[in-house]
Amino acid sequence: MKLNFPIIFFLILVVILFFGLFTNTKVIQSPLIGKNLPNFTLTTLRSGQAISKDDLTKEPILLNVWASWCLACIKEHSILKSIQSNNHIKIIGINYKDERSDAIGWLNIYGDPYKYNLYDVNGEFAIDLGVYGVPETFLVDQNGLIRAKHVGELTEEIYSKKLLPMIKKINEKN
Amino acid sequence: MKKTKIIFMAIILSLSNIAEVISKEKNTDDILYQKLISELRCMVCQNQNLSESEAPLAIDLKNKVMEMIKDGKSEEYIKNYLSERYSSFILYKPPFVFQNSILWFAPYLFLIIITYLLFRRYLK
Repeated sequence: MKLNFPIIFFLILVVILFFGLFTNTKVIQSPLIGKNLPNFTLTTLRSGQAISKDDLTKEPILLNVWASWCLACIKEHSILKSIQSNNHIKIIGINYKDERSDAIGWLNIYGDPYKYNLYDVNGEFAIDLGVYGVPETFLVDQNGLIRAKHVGELTEEIYSKKLLPMIKKINEKN
Repeated sequence: MKKTKIIFMAIILSLSNIAEVISKEKNTDDILYQKLISELRCMVCQNQNLSESEAPLAIDLKNKVMEMIKDGKSEEYIKNYLSERYSSFILYKPPFVFQNSILWFAPYLFLIIITYLLFRRYLK
């Protein structure tokens, strides 16, 4: 037993560090989950109409941060379109640091799954949302609480395994 | 003639005083700004701090920090503001919380354990 203690200790350390190799340090848990959506006043992309947090309808929404200069956004777009056609949840876009004409042109080419887009030209609302890698997607419930966040391209797997069960749960409670 | 000279000098002296006060104020702001951007992580290129990084988000965050300093916000406020949004990962010096307490205590714990292992035969 005397000799074993350091060896056991060493082995435990090896196991802990070994599993440490497989943790993804790129994904950072957002401190905003469970908090209220920050206040904002932005204009819509197409009509330029001013919209603030109070104008959001009282229903769960997906907030999707995207830009026409973002390549991963193109890959992600087909999933957003299928979510919209399945009518699971409304998607509101946040167009991040973009030109209006570029963004509208992009939507004309790739299709427009968004209920409407908020135009965040200098990325101020994105800072309030803690955005650091476009695209990012937030699930916001009917009370304006942020329930989930996904950084990076939304995939079919992440949507159906992580977000969809949460959306169904929120809808059941209503 | 003498009077006007004195008044003239008094004006110049007071002007230089004002300039000094302004530059001092600017200086403390600048020191705080440099300190903060060297202690804050660039979230896009995660092993650089904001001052090293030229990523668009890093530039935005540097501007935001500058803006808050100009508004007279304290260092504490700015760090809180950013970690509320980007998690405490944005701070290069993480705050002491329960989850990372092992990192803070481990060196002392190791010291005690190793001292014990080395000297236990003398204790008997």
